[in-house]
Amino acid sequence: MKVDRRSFLSFVIGGAAGTTLSPLPWKLMDDSSIWSQMWPWKPVPPAGEVVYEDSTCPLCPGGCGITVRKVENRAVKIEGKAGHPINNGGICLLGLSGLQLLYGPTRIKSPMKRVGERGEGKWERISWQEAMTLLSEKLGEIRDKGEAHTVAAISGTGYGTVTELLKRFMTAYGSPNFFRSPSMQDTDEFALNAIFRSKGRLGYDLENADYILSFGSGILDGWGSPVRMFRANSLWKDNQVPVIQVEPRLSNSAGKASKWVAINPGTEADLALGIAALLISQKMANKGNISGFRAWKNELVQAYKPETVAETTGVPVETISELAQGFGTAKRPIALYGKGKGVGTGSLREIAAVTVLNALSGNLNKEGGLWAVSQPDFINWPNVNTDQIADAGLNQSRIDGAGDGPTAGIESVLTRLPQKVLEDGPYPIQALLVAGANPCHELPDTKSVKQALGKIPFIVSFSSFHDETADQADLLMPDHVYLEKFEDVTVGAGLVKEVIGLCRPVVSAQFNTKHLGETLIATANMMGDAIAGAFPWENYESCLKETLGNKWDSMIENGYWENGDVDTAAKKVRPAALDAPVVQAQGDVNSFPLLLVPYDTIRISSGYVGDTPFMVKTVSDTTIKGKDGFVEINPQTAAANGLTEGTLATLATPVGEASVRVHLFEGIKPGVIAMARGLGHTAYDGYLADKGVNVNELIGPVEDPSSGLDAAWGIRAKLDKA
Amino acid sequence: MGTLDDKAKEVMDDSAERPGSGKEVGSGGLIILFFIIGFAGSMILGWVVFPKLLYSQKQQPFNFSHALHMEEVDEGCQSCHYFREDGSFNGIPKLAQCTDCHEETNGESEDEALFVEEYVWKEREVPWLSYSRQPDCVFFSHAAHVIGAEMDCSTCHGDHGETETLRPYEYNRITQYSRDIWGKNIAGIAKNTWDSMKMDDCARCHKEAGVMHTSSVQTERDACFVCHN
Amino acid sequence: MKEQQHEVPTKEAQHKAPVEGKEHGRPVMRYGMAIDLDKCTGCGACMVACMSENNVPFKEDESDKLKSITWIRVYKLTNGKPYPDTEICYLPRPCQHCEGHGGHSPCVSVCPATATDYSRETGIVSQIYTRCFGCRYCMAACPYHARYFNWYDPVWPDGMEKYLSPDVSARVRGVVEKCSFCYHRYQLAKNKAYLNGLHRVPEEDYQTACTQACPSGAIVFGDLNNPEHKVHQIVQPDPHNGNKSKNPKAFRLLERLGTNTKVYYLSDREWVRRLGDNYLAHEETGKVAKAHH
Repeated sequence: MKVDRRSFLSFVIGGAAGTTLSPLPWKLMDDSSIWSQMWPWKPVPPAGEVVYEDSTCPLCPGGCGITVRKVENRAVKIEGKAGHPINNGGICLLGLSGLQLLYGPTRIKSPMKRVGERGEGKWERISWQEAMTLLSEKLGEIRDKGEAHTVAAISGTGYGTVTELLKRFMTAYGSPNFFRSPSMQDTDEFALNAIFRSKGRLGYDLENADYILSFGSGILDGWGSPVRMFRANSLWKDNQVPVIQVEPRLSNSAGKASKWVAINPGTEADLALGIAALLISQKMANKGNISGFRAWKNELVQAYKPETVAETTGVPVETISELAQGFGTAKRPIALYGKGKGVGTGSLREIAAVTVLNALSGNLNKEGGLWAVSQPDFINWPNVNTDQIADAGLNQSRIDGAGDGPTAGIESVLTRLPQKVLEDGPYPIQALLVAGANPCHELPDTKSVKQALGKIPFIVSFSSFHDETADQADLLMPDHVYLEKFEDVTVGAGLVKEVIGLCRPVVSAQFNTKHLGETLIATANMMGDAIAGAFPWENYESCLKETLGNKWDSMIENGYWENGDVDTAAKKVRPAALDAPVVQAQGDVNSFPLLLVPYDTIRISSGYVGDTPFMVKTVSDTTIKGKDGFVEINPQTAAANGLTEGTLATLATPVGEASVRVHLFEGIKPGVIAMARGLGHTAYDGYLADKGVNVNELIGPVEDPSSGLDAAWGIRAKLDKA
Repeated sequence: MGTLDDKAKEVMDDSAERPGSGKEVGSGGLIILFFIIGFAGSMILGWVVFPKLLYSQKQQPFNFSHALHMEEVDEGCQSCHYFREDGSFNGIPKLAQCTDCHEETNGESEDEALFVEEYVWKEREVPWLSYSRQPDCVFFSHAAHVIGAEMDCSTCHGDHGETETLRPYEYNRITQYSRDIWGKNIAGIAKNTWDSMKMDDCARCHKEAGVMHTSSVQTERDACFVCHN
Repeated sequence: MKEQQHEVPTKEAQHKAPVEGKEHGRPVMRYGMAIDLDKCTGCGACMVACMSENNVPFKEDESDKLKSITWIRVYKLTNGKPYPDTEICYLPRPCQHCEGHGGHSPCVSVCPATATDYSRETGIVSQIYTRCFGCRYCMAACPYHARYFNWYDPVWPDGMEKYLSPDVSARVRGVVEKCSFCYHRYQLAKNKAYLNGLHRVPEEDYQTACTQACPSGAIVFGDLNNPEHKVHQIVQPDPHNGNKSKNPKAFRLLERLGTNTKVYYLSDREWVRRLGDNYLAHEETGKVAKAHH
């Protein structure tokens, strides 16, 4: 039989007919369409049992209670805890995106030792035993030479058991150089000391106030406990409480206020004193809580006449009267200070002025007013038995001079450290431990900070993330992320009542990280009796339970411990430095005709924790576009400088220079340009790095001689078309 | 062309001159034969070979006898397959469900021994292969069917609860889904409810039960998101 | 944790509290929102809550806002006046779940794949990703730019896929997505309602992620048809006037298009209300002429 073309064709046709009548093509089509909907790289998260576990969010000083939704022991969503005394279910966008901090390429996954040069990013994974041995040996070497005081430590917060453990380590070791990142806690403590002559912090009973006068405080931009502030703001709206926001830029706080008072930057104290003067001269003042009132009231009224104040501040006389009237006639007025998030705003004159204003309204320690409350004191460990070496070290003066002169009541002035290190004075720093802080990005004058770190031969970072400071370290000993650990979270942040939140492990440690408390206890135990003796606890958890004592049960059950019955720390205000010189912006007005002020926004985290990818997504394209960061400028000023919307320009200040784009915004005083804090990262990962400019590269610290604290509110600048 | 035409004519004349020659009958027959071969071959390929190739088989980690366990428990299916407090259905039980009784081996079977040694003592979840798992885009509510419609487990799951052995898990190589979903029968003809569980099957049953709502504007049937997500 | 078997309630127990407006004996709900623009602080928590709840992807560069996927997006409005009389206002814009006339949302009307659908029972416009083949006709039709296209395959870097929720399907490239009023939460709430023998889902059991997260309490979500729900009390929609709100502070976006949306905005400030639609200079705020069909 010969198979010819026709047979072949009929075979094919038969085959085709048969195929059509068989399920093969139809099933294949159907299945292919299904296959194309279920590409293998599309994640299908496994379903399962849902439980909610409560914890506390420590990503900012706010201390919100959170509840984490878990599916089959996998954390899938963070939500605000309903019923919590601080946030009652609300939560901010940083707290919401906490899971992006738990996972992701920026996590440091195990202890690492640097190989190659600093900044090259070459690391060798080592074990925890090796890391702690390395640390204890290095520190031991320095101590044996009698130079224990040349070791410095930076902690992101001044509160909590872990911070206390770090401080205790430094004490037992023999170094007085414990630092904490600048925060509102600095100005609080300083105010208590300098103006109330006491110890403690400030609390604001905002929910019961009926007139809010805010001198640049970022009520809706991250001041105090942010979610608490948002809730207070809604309460004010419901009760038609007037809110006056005094600042040079129309921030979100100003945008929501009843009135925005545009002021010349840096003159807030003058306005406060002007209003105080009017209250006095118009007999609307209560002198009860002010000592020496008679002595200075006449001086005040003379020096701060409305016309003088209008001239200095740029606020019209009518407005000053209006504010004085409003504040003076309100039953429970309150005044706030601390620009933006309240970090680095340490002008004594400003602090004093606003505190005096509060005192004049008679609201001290009253409903709706300013409260001076004591610091939490639940950490009552026995004193450290210091040995001779430690004593010798502790007797050395602190490198930043904190505690002397105007900084008498202050624990640390971190902004002084870089300059001191660069000067080698009074002694060089040989080792630096950094926990929960990112000074290479957070501190002003980034260049000097980096240079200073370059001079320190041994740097250890306990950061959980590959941040700018970790990049400059020699040894990485990563702490757990808050979702993986037990820790106490003390909340100050302008609350009147005392709240301690409990941070609880919601997932097991994802990587080979170790709780900083554990690291400190274990390392101490490797360093000889003198230091080990100060750490009698077996592990951190037992230390925490013991320290919290009878609060532990309430904290395990509710997630927090609350004490609304506060002890007031002081009752009288002793005005100080009302005639101190104004803190000026660096630079001369001829070379730098404009004023650059940084601003805080809730959408950009500018502290230890960088913006998560979700948060970066919420930043507008007139703040970041591609790699470029924007500055906001009044259209008048822009026109005068030949700049149009989106133009690339060079921004130069006495401290540094950067390339920026220009955004025209009517909501900013002419002559002032504003830039967001928290951008310009160079570390982390592609989701955060290389976006915008770090404003700290352009502004340096300006110390207020009356307080010793950084009070730089801006810097002179010039903007030239690129 | 002329010559070729002549040639062709010649050939035709040739064959016309030889009536009843075997070759002529053969070529017609061959065509039919090859047609039949092609047809039959592709039919066999489509109906027999294709299903065998398309579906792959996996065995369950070990054998579990539903029949045996039904004798031991008090509440039937719901003893191990129940609703949680939030209304979700627990599906295939986790290890914790079994360890109440199986901390140690209770009998002589090899399967139980394997279970206790490899899973209970090592605290590993058993990687059961689920016959009825729907694709990711489907939201199936057991609450709506078991509580709302008061349906019996066997209506959709057949006699699975009475089996002594677990049948092998067959899955479609292309879609990776269980054969129970995409149709036991390659032609998609389902004799029992559990032979095919695609959307059309759900719709058919809903229609028969008279619970076809009309809230969807596009389809005049139920809203898409009631069953999809 | 082992749960005890829940008592299955009887059929009688399932029929409770019928309300006005029924379809085939089942109550008709219109899930909607009231957003108080005087309380909204522009913090962006709603944006992030939504992204976290709904497995929304993210890229390294999100500054191209045309391609950035944000189911709810907070816009910044300004009164256009020069310094120092400038005012700003933030407006969160989720999908408006337009009803049009009897369920003819602009996007639903044009979808060739029946991937998006309007549910008359709940008023929710759903988006089913498996049917969508990415023609983007719906994106062109949507007057509110509420729909987003997956130009790229989502990338979940280094373990981040662990936080994905199983209740919401992850998308692949080539598919349009949009705010769903978190209807997966409605599905879960219905499960719970069945278990508890309730015929309707209680107000507190079904709230969207953005509503829940908003720290200012600016967003209120619920059934606009149910007089017991907060959102109804705030908005007071008039069913005889195209569901326009009786609240003088309330407005809907682009009301004159007749999209009959379910997201109502409230503001004391007239300039904000005026920005809600394309007002002609002579038109009074709150009274726009109906579009000619």
